[in-house]
Order: sequence, then structure tokens, then C-alpha cells
Amino acid sequence: MADELVKLTIDGREVEVPRGTKVIEAVRDMGSDVPHYCWHPGLTVAGNCRICMVEVDMGRGRQTVISCNLDCSPGMQVFTQSDPAKQARQDVMELLLINHPLDCPICDQAGECKLQEYSFEFGADGSRFEFPKVHKPKHVDFSEHVKFDAERCILCTRCVRFCDEIAGEDELSIVNRGDRNEIAVARGGEMTNAYQLNTVDICPVGALTSTDFRFKSRVWFLKQTRSVCGSCSRGCNTTVGTRWNKVLRMVPAENDDVNQWWMCDAGRLAFKHTAADERLGAPMVRKDGKLVEASWDEALSAAVEGLEAAGDGLFALVSARLTNEELFLARGILDKVGTQHVDFKPRTWPKDDLLRTGDGNPNAAGARFFGIAPGDGAHGLEALAESGLKAAFLCGEDLDERPDDLAALEAMDFVLCTGFHETETMRRCASVVLPGVTEFEKDGSFTNIDGRMQRIQPSLSAPGSARPDWKLLGQLLARLGGGEAPRSADQVLKSMGATHPELEGLSLGRLGPLGKSLPQGESPVTEGENTVTAGENTVTEGENTVTEGASA
Amino acid sequence: MSYVKVSRRELTLAEKLYLPSILAGLKNTMSHLLRRGDNEITTMQYPEEKWDLPSYYRGVPVLVKDEDEREKCVACSLCEFVCPPRAISIIPKQIEGVVEKAPEVFDIDMLRCIFCGYCEEVCPEQAIFMSKEYEICGQTREELVYPMDKLYELGKTLGTDGGVKDAPKKWETLAREQGQQGLASDQDA
Repeated sequence: MADELVKLTIDGREVEVPRGTKVIEAVRDMGSDVPHYCWHPGLTVAGNCRICMVEVDMGRGRQTVISCNLDCSPGMQVFTQSDPAKQARQDVMELLLINHPLDCPICDQAGECKLQEYSFEFGADGSRFEFPKVHKPKHVDFSEHVKFDAERCILCTRCVRFCDEIAGEDELSIVNRGDRNEIAVARGGEMTNAYQLNTVDICPVGALTSTDFRFKSRVWFLKQTRSVCGSCSRGCNTTVGTRWNKVLRMVPAENDDVNQWWMCDAGRLAFKHTAADERLGAPMVRKDGKLVEASWDEALSAAVEGLEAAGDGLFALVSARLTNEELFLARGILDKVGTQHVDFKPRTWPKDDLLRTGDGNPNAAGARFFGIAPGDGAHGLEALAESGLKAAFLCGEDLDERPDDLAALEAMDFVLCTGFHETETMRRCASVVLPGVTEFEKDGSFTNIDGRMQRIQPSLSAPGSARPDWKLLGQLLARLGGGEAPRSADQVLKSMGATHPELEGLSLGRLGPLGKSLPQGESPVTEGENTVTAGENTVTEGENTVTEGASA
Repeated sequence: MSYVKVSRRELTLAEKLYLPSILAGLKNTMSHLLRRGDNEITTMQYPEEKWDLPSYYRGVPVLVKDEDEREKCVACSLCEFVCPPRAISIIPKQIEGVVEKAPEVFDIDMLRCIFCGYCEEVCPEQAIFMSKEYEICGQTREELVYPMDKLYELGKTLGTDGGVKDAPKKWETLAREQGQQGLASDQDA
């Protein structure tokens, strides 16, 4: 039934689409676009903005109708660029702009505003309306994250539908009548859902803006980098906006198999650590009880010496926030040192039915895949305090919130720490500190909860002489006798095939913008299953070639 | 490639000696020096005296305030965007009132500025003008990055002519209409 195809003609081109496809979707799948405000691929059809007018002939002459709520039917002829269709859209634009404040110079949406775009494309030169504009409340706080400007609002109800249908909390609605219509939070309260900033993304105009990003920068100055959120194991795809080597905002990027168009508020605001005061910019070595800055050469030598001396008595805590490439190198170091006492620190994160997984480690699956777990009879993190081990390697991890473990570390002979900011653990326990970077400053890949390997990309440059973790781990490994140090994260990934056949032939480039599924866990996956996964992947990417910008 | 060979004219003896030319120059100078009367003065006592510059002269870009001493600039950053040598840098801030935004930092690097006047042309708020200020000097590079205070100070040299002080009418209209329709207009207008 679902496979039943319907044949119709769009702008003179014959296309076949599954029954039930809306005309607007059929046009989009052709690679063309019908202007739209209220229609969003992830929401139900509202059909209230009327801008998506096309001319349709179903055998009874041509009519102008909205394309977002019109099912494709056999023999239908659609004209998206005919004069009546264009005229209809232009008229709708004129009506929408009657009461629009035109305060683009102070509006954060300027630059990615559909009103601006369509106005530029087919709007009229001026307004024919002679009466004063209807004014409504401006800069109203809907919550601590979302600001609302009722004058800019075109009442498309995307935000209302998002809260109801996706976030599961029906907290926005339209109040008042006629030209006094405006969006309001139900019962006069505040927005409370954990995904409310998505309403800012999907707002086609500047009515809903983010308090966090408010007036930080015009959007056209932002350098946009595709990456992956590092706050939980879902691995939501993101577009990171940076300027002045600072992250200014993070918005979701579309990926049908991971986060669709959405992302939780906590995740998208989790970039403040990149600008923290305590970022590490140089290696440090403890001399006479105090951590002092040292050269990389000196610090690496001290680290290698300590690791070699520790041997199988080394306790290693490898962060599951590191990339697959770094975990692989860390695993290599631990194998060279010969220790079994390996673990990663669990991290909690809120859990819900939409995206948040409850696991605050973005690469827990990767850590399991590369065997970051205690060997037989070896000590894990829970047994650290009683283990009696004399050396530790905290790879991108700290134990600041665990006083017992901190005391155990303090009593050790040698503690090597890597990380991007100075922690209590470093101050109290570290013998050698190697400065790494955050997930915004390095290349690599995370494996999400579903075993999907996705690429993260650097959007900032690291402070001081800090090095990406893959680089410093590679250099450590090389000094421990593990061959030549890798020159890029990509090179590390390409070299993994030799020991992990599942990763044969992969590179960061081949992960593509949407990632690739990776067989999960320690259990080896059979060839057959592997092939199926790869197959599904290909189909998914095909469907995704035409994308609706999530931040539109 | 074809070319034409042009032969240089032989210099005469007088020309080769240079002296006649030098003397002719000295004679010219002396004639100006010995001239009398106010109308005859050919030098100008710069910097006490200055040229009258034409109205279209483009000197240092400056910022202006409106007749109510409100900053006209709303930090829309269009001048920063359009500036060909990227001399302008702006960091916006949030303010109270009808106009929600103003610049926190507004720097123009006068070592970069090429006096093209695009900033003046693109400004939707008529907040930046090309002044007749051309004395740009300093001993360090930092000194020549003009901060916002200095730009407003220089803006005062423009006086009130040519609509410099007029507030963009849209904010006025907005405040008035908001008041008429019973919406908050207690803020600045």
C-alpha cells in the first residue's frame, strides 16, 4: 500500500511519488523548493501561512492552492512558477508585512529570516497600507532561554506544534482574536520543556530568539562547522557557529537517523567550557611539590618514564568523552605498558523518550568497543581506593567529585593527567599534566548509543601550546616504542583496520556528513549483519540528499 | 610582440649644466616671497589655518547621536560587513528601551580605513558619517584604532547640518504608535 506510486506532472516534468506525498514534498524531492513558513517536515501540516501557493490542474481547470496540504494524485499537473502562483505568493507577502515592524537592524534572525528571503525574492517595493501598524509586546521572556517578539511573529504555529507534538508539552498557544492574535505560554507561566530552544530554530522569522545568543553576533559573521554534540551518547548532529575563536551558538543539524531536526537545550548550551578561565595552555611537571610549566619534550619524557616504571601496576582511567581515534591510541599505550587496570568514568545525563539517553559520555560505545574496561581480576574505578596501585594515568578525566579516589591518587608515586582545563585532581595529585583540547578543537569520531560512528570537526583553535588529544597520545605511544607518531586523526582511523577488521577501509571523510553504523560492543559481529547495516546506510543517505535546513 | 623604439632627444648644453633651470626656479620663489598685500599670500599658516573642504570630502568616519543625545547606532553591523578593508569591529550589547540594541564596542582601525564611505552609505540608521577630519596621527598602532568615545567626540565636529542629528523616523513612529495603542512606551523615545 505504502509502495503504491502516483504519477503527476510538476512544472512539465513527470514524477512518481508514493501515494500520500504532499505536493510540497514532491517538489522538494525534485530538488526544487516552494516557499513555505508554517510547513516543516518534522511537524504536522497546519496550512495557515498560505505562502506555498502553486497552481494545480486536476482536469477541471487551473486553481491556486496551498501545496503543503495537497496530496499528490494521478494525472495532476502542478505549476509552481506560473504567474498566478507567483502573484498569490506576492499578495501573501504583502499581507504578512502589513504589521511587521521591519526592525531587521536589531533582529537576530536577520540573515536567516524567511521573511527577508522571500521579500527579497518576490516581495513588493513598499506597503500600500495607510494605517498605523498594530503593535504588540516586544522582547517578552517565554523562559530563561527563549525571548518572544509578538510584532515579528507571523503566527505560523510551528512553535506551538513543536511543543505539542515533539516536546510533548502543549505549552504554547495562540491567544486573542483577529489582528491582536499572538503566541502566549499557556496559563501565563514559563516554557518548561527541555527542548524549547528548537522553537527558536524552527521559527521562520525573528519572533522567537535565543536569550543566550541574543545580540552576540550577526549570523552572517559566524563560521559554521558541522560536528556532533558531546553531552550525551545520542550524538546529535550540530552546526557550531564560531567567531573570534569563540563558540557563540550551537544548533542541531538534520540527521534523520539520529536527531532528525532537534536537540536538547542543555546539549546545545554545553559549549561554555571552551572559554573557561582554567583552560590549560602548556604542559606542566611537578617539581618540589608544585606544578610548573614545562616544555612538551620534558613533559612527554617525564610521562613516558612514569608509565614505563609503573608497568602492570598502572591504573588507567580513560575518558569516554575522547574520540574513537584517541581511545584507540590510549588502548595502544595501555597495551604497551601492559596494564589490565583500565576503566572509564560513568557520567549521568537526563533521560527522556525523545533524544536524551541518560548517559553523559558521548563515546561510551566507542570506549566499550576499544576495550576500555578492567581485564580479568583487575581493578576498575570502583576498586581504585582499595587497589593499592602506585601509579595512575587519567586520560582526559578527573576525579574531582570523588574524595576517596582523590585521596588514593594523592598517595600514589606517579599520576599522569591529560585534559583541557585545570582540575582539582591535577592540582592535588598530578605529577605530569599534558594539555589536551575540547571536542570543539579537534578532529575525530564519536560512536553513539546506536553504534553510529559520526565525525566531529574542529571549529576553534586550541589555547597556547595545547595539542589535540590524538596528537599527544600518539606522541606518547611513539615514545613508548609504538612506531611513528600519527600526523592526523584521520591517519589513526585509517590504521585501525589492521587490528579492528570492522573498521577496515574507514576514514573520517568516508564517515560522511551523517555517520556510519559501527558494530557495537565487545562481541564480534558476523560478516552478514555487517553487510546489512551498510546497506541500510546507503539508503538512508539517499533519502537525505535533499535537506531542509534545521535552523531555517 | 611589436614595439616602437623612441629615441631620446639630445640635451642642449644649457640643459646639461642644470644651472639655468635652478636659477629659473629660484627666480619664481623669490617673486612669490617679495609679493606684498593680503590677497597675494601664497602660503597657509597650517595648522592654525586650514583648507575649506568641499561638502563631498570623505575624512574619518564618525558616529553621531540624535537630537535627544541618544546613540543612533543599533549595532546592526552592516558597516562592519560592508567595510572592504575590515577596519570596523563592533560588539553589540542589549539596552533598555524601544531600540533594544546598541554597540558595546565600536572600533575603527584608521590604519585600515580607506575612506570609501561605504559605511555611511549602508547605515540604515544614519548613525555613521564621513567627517572632514583628516589629521590622523599617532605613535603606536593601538592609538590609531579609534574607539567609540573618540568617534562620538569627532561626530560633534559635524554640527547639526545635513540631517546628522535627525533620529531615524521609524523609532519615533514606533514609540508614538506603541503609546497610542496602550503598549509600554515609558522607555526612551
